[in-house]
Formats: sequence, C-alpha cells, structure tokens
Amino acid sequence: MIPDRVVEVLHGPTWIQIGSRDEALRPAHTVAVGAVVHDDRQTVTVFVPTARSGRVLRDLTGNGRIAVGLALASHESYQLKGTYISSRPTDDTDRARQEARRAALLESALEAGYPETIARPLALGLAITPGVAITFRAEQVFLQTPGPGAGTLLS
Amino acid sequence: MSADPRDTSGLREQIAENQQVIDRLNRDLARKSNEVRIIQQISSEITSTLDLDEVLGIILRAMDHVLAFAHSMILLKDVADNVLRVAATRGYAEQGAGAQVRLGEGVIGVVGERRRMMRIGNIGASMRYLKTVRARMESSGEVGPAEAPAVLPGLTDVQSQLALPLTVKDRLVGVLAVESRTPNAFDELDEVLLRIVGNQAATAIDNARTYQMVEQLGRLKRFFSPQLADLIIRGGADDPLKTHRREVTVVFLDLRGFTAFAETSEPEEVMGVLHEYHAEMGRLILAHEGTLERFTGDGMMIFFNDPLPMPDAAERAVRMAVAMRDRAAELAVRWHRKGYELDLGIGIAKGFATIGAIGFEGRWDYGAIGTVTNLAARLCGEAKPGQILISPRLLPEVENLLEVEEMGLLAVKGLARPVKPLNVLRLRDPA
Amino acid sequence: MGILPDEIKAAMQGVIPSHVVTCSHDGTPNASALSQVYYVDADHVALSHQFFNKTKRNLEENPRAMAWVISPETFEAWDLELEFVRSETSGPIFDIMEMQIEAIASMVGMKGIFKLRAADIFRVIGVSKTVGERLPLAEIPRAR
Repeated sequence: MIPDRVVEVLHGPTWIQIGSRDEALRPAHTVAVGAVVHDDRQTVTVFVPTARSGRVLRDLTGNGRIAVGLALASHESYQLKGTYISSRPTDDTDRARQEARRAALLESALEAGYPETIARPLALGLAITPGVAITFRAEQVFLQTPGPGAGTLLS
Repeated sequence: MSADPRDTSGLREQIAENQQVIDRLNRDLARKSNEVRIIQQISSEITSTLDLDEVLGIILRAMDHVLAFAHSMILLKDVADNVLRVAATRGYAEQGAGAQVRLGEGVIGVVGERRRMMRIGNIGASMRYLKTVRARMESSGEVGPAEAPAVLPGLTDVQSQLALPLTVKDRLVGVLAVESRTPNAFDELDEVLLRIVGNQAATAIDNARTYQMVEQLGRLKRFFSPQLADLIIRGGADDPLKTHRREVTVVFLDLRGFTAFAETSEPEEVMGVLHEYHAEMGRLILAHEGTLERFTGDGMMIFFNDPLPMPDAAERAVRMAVAMRDRAAELAVRWHRKGYELDLGIGIAKGFATIGAIGFEGRWDYGAIGTVTNLAARLCGEAKPGQILISPRLLPEVENLLEVEEMGLLAVKGLARPVKPLNVLRLRDPA
Repeated sequence: MGILPDEIKAAMQGVIPSHVVTCSHDGTPNASALSQVYYVDADHVALSHQFFNKTKRNLEENPRAMAWVISPETFEAWDLELEFVRSETSGPIFDIMEMQIEAIASMVGMKGIFKLRAADIFRVIGVSKTVGERLPLAEIPRAR
C-alpha cells in the first residue's frame, strides 16, 4: 500500500525518473511526466516519451524490475520499486493530464526559487508526445529526501 | 589507382567539416590571444605604480572593461588577524569598503583559507539543497537550530562566484573575486584569465602596501622613537597623527636658572649643557617609553598613554621623573663646579588632551593641547630646584610608590578651583 | 580519448539536479536524484559522497551506473553510461567539492556540520544526447 503522502506526491508537481537494468545488470534511465495511482493504491501508471525510452522498455519487458524516483522541487523525495505489468501508447486523456502536470511543475519550480529563465524551459520543455504509459505494481516505497532517514522503507 | 568519383564528395564533406573545426579553433585562439595580450598590458600598468588605490583601481577596471565582469572586489588580509577586508569594489551600489569576511566563511573566506581558486555557478540551488538537509537534521534532532549565516559583502541572490587567492611567496595578501546573479556565469577560460591578472596583482598590491607601510613608518619615525613607530605600524592601529582625544599623564620639566645662564655664558657652553641635558633626559624618556612632545631649549614636555595605550601611565611618569631628578642632580654637581646655577624642576598632571599633528608642511609636531598641559607646566614653574610637583589626581595610582608631602594651594589659569600639589620626596622602594 | 563534449560542462555545474540509476547484484535497479555530477576530464566524472546510501552500496556490488544531466543554458540532456572507478578522500576533485560544501554551509549557518566523505570517480563509457525528451526551445511558450 502506497502511503497517502506519496500518493499525493505522485499526483502532484513531481519530477519523475524511471530506472531499469538489462540482462548484464547495466542500468538505464528515462524521465516521466505525470503519474496515476490506481484505486488499489498499489498499481501505478507513469508516462514516458517514446523516442527516448526504448532501452528502458526493452529492459522492463525482459526482466520486469523497475525503480521510480520521485522528487518535488523542495527536494522532498521518494522511490518506488516494483514489477512491470504492461504498457500502451498514451491517449488524449493521458496527454491532457500531462500538460496539467507540466504547468504545475513550472509553478512549483518558481515557488522553490528557480529563476524564471530556468524554470520555464525546464518544466514546459518536457516532451509529452509521442508517449508510452507504463503500468507497474509498487512493492516497496522508500523515503529519499536528502538527509537523515533517507533510504527508510515506508511500506 | 584512379580515384572513385563517389569518394571525392565524401572527401569534400570531410574537408569542409575539418575546416569548420579549424575555423572555430582559430577564432577561439584569436580571442584567447587578444585577451592574453590585453591582460599583459594591464599587468605592466599595474606594476608601474606603487600607489595602492591606483593599483586596486587598475585591476578592477580591467575586470570590467577587458574581462566583462560586471561585479568585482578586492579584499586584503591584515597582517595581524584572520580577516579579509574589502579594499576596493566595482559594480556595486554602495562602496562596501571596510566590510569584513572571516577566513573560512563564504566563497571568499574559503578561498582565503585554502589558498585555492574556486568557481561556483549554482549557489542558489546549493543553498536550497543544504537547507533541506539541515531542516531534516534539525527535525530528527541530529543538530540544534542553525547559527546565524555568515554576513557577506556582495550581491544578494548571488548565483555565481569566481574567487582567486592573491599570494606572494606563501603569504596570503588578499582575495580577488567576481560574481553574478546569473547561474553558471563563469567558465574555465575566465579562471585562466583571472589567474593571469591575479599573479601580477598579488605582487603589485603587496609592493604597494609595503611602500605604504614604509612611508607611514618614515613619517611616524619623525615624531616617535623607531621602536615606537614600529609598534604603531605593526599594531595596525588608527593613524595616531589624526587628531584624537585621550587621557594622558603629562610631565613638564625645565632647568631653573637657564635663562640667566644662557644670557651670561658663551654659546659653546650653553650648547654643551643643552646637549648633555637632552641626551640624558632623552635616554630616560626612551627607557620609560614616554612620548616627547616638544623641547624648547631647556623645557621638555613628555606624555604617557599616547599613541600607545598604557595602563601604568602614571606610574611610569613618576618613575621617570624621579630618575630624571637623580640624574640631573649628578649633572648639577659638575655644572655647579663650573659655576652654572642650573637645577631641574618637574611638574606632572593627568587629564584629557587633544592630540595630533600640529604645524605646517615641512614643520610638523606631534602635539597635545588641553588644561592638563597647562597644569603640568604651571606645576613645573612652581617647583623649586630639585622638586617634583604632582597633581593630586595622580595620587590614587602612585601613593604606594611614593612618599609625598602636601603643598599649599595653587591657583592655575584655566582651572576653576586652585590645586593642592604634592611634592614627591622619594620612592618608597627604590626599584 | 575525450568522450565528453565541451558543451556538457554547463550541465555539470549543479544548477539543475541530475539523476543516477544503479543496480544491486540481485538485479534491483535504484533511481535517485543528485545535486551535481562533476566534470573531471573528458573521460571521467565524479559524484560527491556525503551520506552512505543504497546508491553507494549498489556501486560496491556492481560498478555500472547511468546518469542523466541537463544543461541550464540549452536544456539539452545527456545520458551518461558510467563505470565506478574509485573513491577519493583527497586530491583536486575532493578539494573542489569540499570547498564548495564549506562555502555554502557557512552561508546557511551550518559551518562544520556537513562532511564530505569522498569523491566517487567514474569512467565515462558512453555519452548520448537524449532524443525526444525535450521540446525545442523555440516551441516553449513565453511568459505572458
């Protein structure tokens, strides 16, 4: 079960990164814009740009191990680890949600103190389409905010 | 052996690409050469002057005009303590001169402490990150509440800084720093250019400061003994020649019978006596570290507690007076044998005086003015041959040292009430 | 060899946080953010090691990592394929990291609290500019 705060963060202005590994344990990486927690509070869908996520998708279909890093502009951070379930191309609903998240990311970056000249391109420059929706089951949730307690298993 | 036509176009592309690289390298090289040439010219400007303010001005003008650093400053390290003081700035609303940075604080302080150049372009992001970690450490009880952050001169909301230590041999002379509100404002080329200027700047600044110190030393030596002048320079104290007020103990001495003696004796005899008198009294002044304010013929005025503060000023003054009386008595034996009727009289008083350089170009004196000097002179005038008269104000500090006797009331010009001077009979413990 | 292009240096100033993915020897990936990937030379980068964590533990089991950095000027991003080489507790890179921490710590009133444990040096095996991750700058709507 994903803790309430983490659900909030997943649905909020969060910078998301996806980690995977291949058969030789070589890590790969992609970014995601937007996430949705399903009603069971265990299944999560994240949205990644197709063009740059090929390697991660291959890894996921190959061994299923996924790590998802979440960070707010305030540095509050979490990590989910789990197993890949399925993926599909993003649709209009997904994209609309992603656009809203992008705008929220800009606002939160400005609030956190990033200058406009950086916050704007950083947030609004995130590519949304073409995209892939990756669904996975979260099995472990960790606190990752830098400082004492980082790495604590939350659930 | 004949070339395949298809190869030629590929080759042409390759040549074009290479040419682009070569052009870019040439442009970079030209830019670098130009900048290095200008830097070298600045270097010769810097080393051609010994005036510290001029040197600092040249350096910062170059930072602005040649290297396009909009905000720059030079901090100098005092000889004595671990503090860097802002000596010159450019590109700031306020001058900020005199503002301090302790070694180890902020970019400038760390550069001064480590003697290593430092470039940083993410100050805002770094501060936000560390503040988050700090907040976590506070809430988990690992640390107490944060102490006050260092108050540093320069831009608020600064994002980028580049600072270089200025060293001569192994000594830290100061720090040269540039900064900006833009993240990532400086690059490696800026480091290189700053280093070139910095090396020359360090030497030029050090030379100018040394020259400044030597000049000041020379000036001070005209007023004070070499040791005293040296002490003043090392102490880094405020310029004593600037007018100031201080409570001082003043000793006034002169020779009874000198005027008559000067009128009736040969010039060589008079000069001989004066020479001997000055030499002996002068030796005692130096020994007790007093400040000789003036001597006019046979009259001398010495004061204690300025320019160097002395907690035992009154005691020193009295000990010196007694030593002078003893020595003068020995001299008087010889003088009387020659028929010179000369005897020493001394007056000592304590009070506030206005002190500084008085006079005019080419003829300066280190002077003290106040009621206290009048009183000391009056007491000296009242003193009979061989007497030391002191103002009652000194008594608390010296009564354990001396055997004294009260004298009658004395009216003194400038004092509302008459004074009851004390006659110093002898030291209780001749030491 | 010189595998890192000059233009990537701007992305290694810590203006925008970076990411790193590592993997334990039992095959579990780990994704975490970091404030800065430091440029050492055209073939090496460094990460500052302040708190002992899963990333470090993974690297001890499996030296491969994937880092992501983004330029605060052009907003292009790169994937860096890395191999952990060694931890340094002295030397020029360690000194630079330590000086920065000292300076910033004193500016937030936390002098002496933060300790740099080590500078972790990585060899860059591969570098590629990410494609399809970002919109061209010209397409980003300007502030009203």
